[in-house]
Amino acid sequence: MRTLVWALAAAFLALITILLSQKGALDPLRNMALTVVSPLERGVRNAAEPVADALNRIAERQDLEEENRQLRQQIEELRGEIADLSEQQALSEGLQELLKVQEGRPGDQFLVARVIAKDPSNLKERIAIDRGSDDGVAEGMVVMSAANSLVGVVSSTLANFAWVTLITDPNSSVNAMVMESRTQGVVSGTLHSGLRMELLPQDTVVAPGSTVATSGLGGNFPDALLIGEVVSVQGSPQDIFQKAELQPAADLSRLDSVLVLISFQPARLDHTP
Amino acid sequence: MRYVFLGPLAMTVVLFQVAAAPYFPLMGATANPLLVLLMCWAMVRGPREAMVLIPVTAVFKDLITNDPVGVSVLAMLPIVPLATVRERHPTQSEFVPTVVVVAVASVCYHVIYMVVLTSLGEEVPWLQSPTEVLVPAALLDAVLTPLFYLPLRLVVTMTESRARLRMVL
Repeated sequence: MRTLVWALAAAFLALITILLSQKGALDPLRNMALTVVSPLERGVRNAAEPVADALNRIAERQDLEEENRQLRQQIEELRGEIADLSEQQALSEGLQELLKVQEGRPGDQFLVARVIAKDPSNLKERIAIDRGSDDGVAEGMVVMSAANSLVGVVSSTLANFAWVTLITDPNSSVNAMVMESRTQGVVSGTLHSGLRMELLPQDTVVAPGSTVATSGLGGNFPDALLIGEVVSVQGSPQDIFQKAELQPAADLSRLDSVLVLISFQPARLDHTP
Repeated sequence: MRYVFLGPLAMTVVLFQVAAAPYFPLMGATANPLLVLLMCWAMVRGPREAMVLIPVTAVFKDLITNDPVGVSVLAMLPIVPLATVRERHPTQSEFVPTVVVVAVASVCYHVIYMVVLTSLGEEVPWLQSPTEVLVPAALLDAVLTPLFYLPLRLVVTMTESRARLRMVL
């Protein structure tokens, strides 16, 4: 009987706090808790990272992990350049309208933010950064890696912190384009840091190794922002669309700092008063 | 007095869970050390103390993560009935039932968590979750159980023996 009463009372209070939390009433408390805890969190994180790296090295028997990481970063940067160049080529081939839009866009302005936490949930792919609404960060802003590839979108802000939904989160979807074939589709997250490109027309050829970047459709993301590389393509002739598994360009599990693109106003922000 | 010891321990575990656990995934799943600690504590000491600790630590965890505040309280509620059932059906060995109950609590945690997220309008991959979340997370939490259970059992046994000795003397 005591257990039942406790369970009912706890469930009732939990539901009330969930409602309050959804309305943002607990945001000041969250901000305060993160302010107090983030230095400790950073310390634990800095201590855990080398241990995790060491365990990874033992598990995978890879002594060249550091070199591998540098090479990955170089590849990411080069692919970013390729994505840019491909876009420029497309522009020079007659996409004058797009060129006008790009020329009309002011120079990008970024806000550097440090990653202070990663959501420990098994169902979400989100990170916390040490910049919030006081720094000009707003919901919907695009977040990029140091090597200029897409990381995610700011999904909620507190005064001094913000949570970023990574592109690998199951709730994330980005209008994207395969740069080589100009095929458009939608990139969404799957469980455990996976990335999938869907709605690829059946009559188009998408080859593994192709570069995927944002298409700019919908206005939520700037165009030609590197997302990743096609690893495999799935789909039988009976299917209306093909699907492709992608490898994110940025190493999303090891982000230390990110760039918040503050100069780009996503379309959904335009509706806010 | 027991809360003076257990409170900071639980908070430290929360901190570890939030800051470090994502770096040690197994089959893509992340461990839930707080759930394992509270379940082990409820098994060793009975569910009464867990009734105090679950709301406090779960709210603290939600405050420093992106979860709606309160969702972890709901998700960890099954710890108490599970420990109560176990208390009513004692067995000779306590360790194996604890491992099993931790795995069950882990599954309950994720199912409740997914129900809440779905009801809040978030997209939850229900079809993939049994193989990619529920089973790996339950296995990982079960593997983690000895790390919490054995020291707790040792401390509690020592404390109880000392108290018994004091009563005899």
